[in-house]
Parts: sequence; structure tokens; C-alpha cells
Amino acid sequence: MRFSILLFALAQILKIASFSNSRFKAYINKAQTRILIKTADGKRARLFVFDKGKVSSISGDRKDFDAALVWRDAATGFSVMTSKYPDASFNAAAEGKLSVEGMSVYAQWLEDGLKLII
Amino acid sequence: MTTITGGHLAAKYMQEVEKVRIVFTLSGGHIENILDGFTQYGIKTIDVRHEQAAAMMAHAWSIYNNEPGVCLVTAGPGFTNALTGIANAHLDNAPLVVLCGRHPLRDDLTGALQEMNQVDMVKPITKWCATCYDVKRIPEYLNIAFRQATMGRPGPVFLELPPDILFAPTALEAVSIPARKHHKSVVSPDSTELEDAARLINEARRPIFMGGSGVGFSNSRQSLAALIEKTGIPFALLNNGRGTLPDSHTLCINDGGFTSIMTGLPQADVIVAAGIRFNWVLQSGKLFPNAKVIRIDNDPTEIDRNRPATVGLAGDCDAVFKQLLPMVDDRDHSEWIGKLRKAYAAFMTTELAQRENPSHPIHPNRLVARIMEVFGDDAYYVADGGDTSYFGLAGFLSQHKSGVQVPAGSLLGCLGTGIPFAMAGKLSHPDKPVIVLNGDGSFGFNSMEFDTCVRHNIPIICIVNNDCAWGMIKHSQEISLGEDRCTCSELGMRHYEKMVEGLGGYGELVEKDEDIIPAIERAVQSGKPACINVVTDPTVTSPATVIFYQNFTGL
Repeated sequence: MRFSILLFALAQILKIASFSNSRFKAYINKAQTRILIKTADGKRARLFVFDKGKVSSISGDRKDFDAALVWRDAATGFSVMTSKYPDASFNAAAEGKLSVEGMSVYAQWLEDGLKLII
Repeated sequence: MTTITGGHLAAKYMQEVEKVRIVFTLSGGHIENILDGFTQYGIKTIDVRHEQAAAMMAHAWSIYNNEPGVCLVTAGPGFTNALTGIANAHLDNAPLVVLCGRHPLRDDLTGALQEMNQVDMVKPITKWCATCYDVKRIPEYLNIAFRQATMGRPGPVFLELPPDILFAPTALEAVSIPARKHHKSVVSPDSTELEDAARLINEARRPIFMGGSGVGFSNSRQSLAALIEKTGIPFALLNNGRGTLPDSHTLCINDGGFTSIMTGLPQADVIVAAGIRFNWVLQSGKLFPNAKVIRIDNDPTEIDRNRPATVGLAGDCDAVFKQLLPMVDDRDHSEWIGKLRKAYAAFMTTELAQRENPSHPIHPNRLVARIMEVFGDDAYYVADGGDTSYFGLAGFLSQHKSGVQVPAGSLLGCLGTGIPFAMAGKLSHPDKPVIVLNGDGSFGFNSMEFDTCVRHNIPIICIVNNDCAWGMIKHSQEISLGEDRCTCSELGMRHYEKMVEGLGGYGELVEKDEDIIPAIERAVQSGKPACINVVTDPTVTSPATVIFYQNFTGL
């Protein structure tokens, strides 16, 4: 549940930042990409849609993504995504707790974008 | 008294002093006498169909053989056609020697055929350029040209040879032929800087070594192996440094293509960057803001460019590696390497699956994997294109020096380099398979060189990754303009294999996964220059396109 709430909260933060944070606005201004964050069993998932400056999100597992961050389980996803350590995602990937489907360059793009607002 | 013409004198000097074995050229009236000189002195000539290819082949020859590559072009359009190849060598720091015809000196300012100021045009893209005005001084000018091309940071040089001096006879006894001297003095870093670098390496917990063209040009295979194996640092070799140590080395992370570098560099605490520039490909060094960086370069002005170095070591890579070796500790970073490998594999989940699984239409990652199934790492690979460069860089592995070349990925981003590079690769390594993976767009630039391949028996195997488009541009336009407004980026289905057949080579069209390997095997058996035209999924975008597009998002 906490992971689903985190994804929902992240969607709200991204939406607010898309019109209130000038650096983030510029960052997503020309981006057109769909990034899914989910647990491996697909029970908790949210798709983040970036469409030339607009951000929206859709709850639930889907296949139409450019990149998907797949967490082993919800607890891991929550702890890593809220971690203050910059290498948390790297360590999670190295420990088999995170994989990226699709093009990982988009996942890196999202992570760099989040650094501008969080 | 022995009489010799200027053209023959040039050939004599190049053969006897510079030990030039091969010259890439396209004939022309202004340069006839020097071409005849090559015949006289036994220098092999490869005559191409467009001077751009001659310059690119000579550039590639310098990489495959670690010696200057020489091209000879005629005046006017021969010269202007070569400019793209010269510019590419300039941005690639390749020791390319360009010899060029010119309108006669006696006809200056008369409206002579092909009269133009070539030297001023070529000056910004060469390390050195000049016109020789005296037949007796041809060897002296050539001596300067070869020294300029190879000493310090290498680069292209340009020597204009007017027909008045090429055709002019002179007494050989009156000519002074300079020797090719190899001086032993070298630029060397200060001992305190070496100590600082060694301390950083010895204290590093998550180090990465990156080597570029400077490693490749410095004959550093042994010293690099010794340094890497003693320090236990994982390494990636890029550009013309690729293959200085084989991709199969236990500490090499080239198997992850660009993903391993993008994943590893931001996590590294110490980065040793040798003979590599922090240009746009490496995001000007912004990928690793917190790492301590040791930079090794034979050009001291390069060391702090774009990203200040923690320690800068000015000198030839081989010499600096040898100096560092006794100062560094025996280390074992296997835990860090294991972690790094698992992390970048996790980021390549889909890519690895695409290699394993057949699909229809064929995915380019699968195509590369199938090519590797046939030839393995005992082959030379070239990739040329936009997205195609990415797929080749990510999937090809070789045990040979310069065994994987992606020339379109260098600073000029010059499509069309693939076929000339593969041809030079095959001439350099005739007993090994040489495969070029070409985008269908980039194939168009130099595909007439299949005629050259046939005439000179250069049996390269060209595999066209045919998505019927300028894929990188088309997919960028889909993002920026919208799918319904893509412009000038569609190519349509073309039978490139029939074009090669028409030129005397071998050709096949492939549309199904199961046909890839048999077609390649038949191409090999044919013994001819071959083109396998593989229809791939036109909807596939590579990460390189995303990065390429992002590069313009701030505009």
C-alpha cells in the first residue's frame, strides 16, 4: 500500500513541478515518453506520461511503456525510492532488486529529472 | 647523373624513408607522374570511386596499422571531395597524410583548370598544410608532413604538389633526402603528480579506467595490461583504443556497450581517463560530478578541458603507464566489478532478451547477435549509421586491436565511414573476416566502393540494417514534430544487395531470422565482396536517438 501511495504522491509532485519549477519545466518541455514504475508481480504499478511539458499518470500495469522500473517487491521499491543515498538504485540493481525493461536511458532521464525537484 | 621527376622522387622518398606500403587514391591528370612513381617504387595503390573514400580509408589504415595513412587526390573536385574525410580525421586526431594535385604554378591567376586556393580551404581542418614549389625540396616537405602527422597529438596534414614540379626532371644527386629520425625525448609528468595519481588509484574503492584513441596510438598493450591487472581496475576502451586489450579480458566492461559506461561512471570514486577527450559523447564529464579524475594525455591543454582533473599527467599513455606501474599497489576490485556487472545487466534486461529471441520483423539487436554467432570475437567489426552505430557498439566484441570500430560515433558524426573503414580493415587483416554493419541511409554514401572492392579483391561483408529510413532522424522527428510530420527521413525499401550484385559482388535479401546465418555463410563461401540486405523493424529506436534528441532539447 505504501508503495502505491508513494507512486501516487510522485505523480502529484511531478504534476505540480511541471508548472511551478522552472528548471523541471525546461527539462520536460520537449520530452515525450512513458515510464512505468511497478513491482515484479505487476500488482502495484503506475505509468508516468510526459508529453512535451505535460505530466499525467495512469494507475495499473501496462505494456505501452518506453522504460519500466521493475522492483522486486513493494517494500524494496519504497525504501530505495525514498532513500537519501544517491547510489541506492545502483545498489538495488546490483542486488537483483531492480531491473529496467525497455530503454534504460529513459529511466536515467527520469532519475535526473527527479533530482531537480526532490 | 641520374635524372628523376618530382612525382618519382616523392614515391622514392615515401617508399624508402617513410616505408609507405599503400596509398589510397583516385587518378587525375595533375597527379599522373606521382602515380607512375608509385608503380616504379612498388607502392600499392587502391583507386576508389570517390575521394572521400580515399581519405577515409587512409584514416582507417592509420588506425589498423598504427602508422600514417596516405591518400593522393587530384586538384579541384578531387580535393573538395576529400574534405569530409580530412575533417573526420582532424576531429579524430588521425595521422592522415593527404597529397594533393594543384593547378600549375605557371598558370596562377590565369583562370587555369581547377584553379582555386586549396590551402586556405583545408587549413582549419589540418594540423599542417603547405605547397611545395621546388622539385628538389619534395623529400624535405614530405619529411615535414610525416613528422607533423605523427608527432605529439596526431592529425591530418596536407601537401599540395603542383604538376610543374611533379613532372619536372631533376638530378637525383642534387637532392637532399632527409632521414626519418626517431628522437627519444618525451614529455613526462612531474614525479609529484605521478605520486598523487598513484595514491588516488591505491585508495580507490570503485575505480574505472577509460582509454581512448591515445591508448590505441601509443602501442601500450603490454604496459596497459600490466597496469590494469596489477591495480585490478575495470576498464572500458573506446574509439581507436578499443581492443588494445581484448574485449574478453576479465576486467573489461565493453560487453555492456554504452550502458556499462553510463551505469558505472556516476558510481565511480576514481576515474582514470587515458587518451580520451571529455567531449559530448561523455557529456563533457558531467556524468561523474563527484569522482576524482586522473587524466593522461599527450596534449597538456586537453587535461582540464570541460572538466578539471584532480591530477593531470601529460605524456604518452604507454610511457605514463610504465611510470605508474611500480607506484601502484596490487589490488582486487572483484567485488566492485561483480556489482557493476550485475547493475548494468539489470539495466539491459530488454536488450539482452532481444538478442536471445527471434522476432519478426527482425530486431537490430538480434541481427548483431546472429552476426556474432557466425564470426565470434576473431573478426573485425565496423558499424556505421545513427541507431546502427549504437547496436554495433553494444553488441560486437572482438579480441583484436581496433576490432570494433564505430567511426560515425566520433566527433564529426560522419555517416558513410563504414565501408571505407571495413575496406582498410580487410586490406590490413586479409586473413580475418571483416564485417560492416551499415544503416541503409549510411550505405548510400560510399556504396559505389563495392566496385573498388571487386576490382581490388577486398571481400568485406556488409550487412545492411535496413529500416527503410534515416532512423535516428526519423525517430527524433516523431518526438519533436509528430509522426504525421516527419520530413526527409523516409527512404523506402531498396534492394541494395542487387546493386552490389550488379557491381560484381555477392548479394542476398533477408527478411526472416532463420535466414540470417545461412545467408552470411553463403556470403563468406562466395569469397566476393558481399551485401546482405536485412529488413529490420522500422519502429525500433535506439537509446542513442534519445540522447541525440535530448542534446537538442535545450535549444
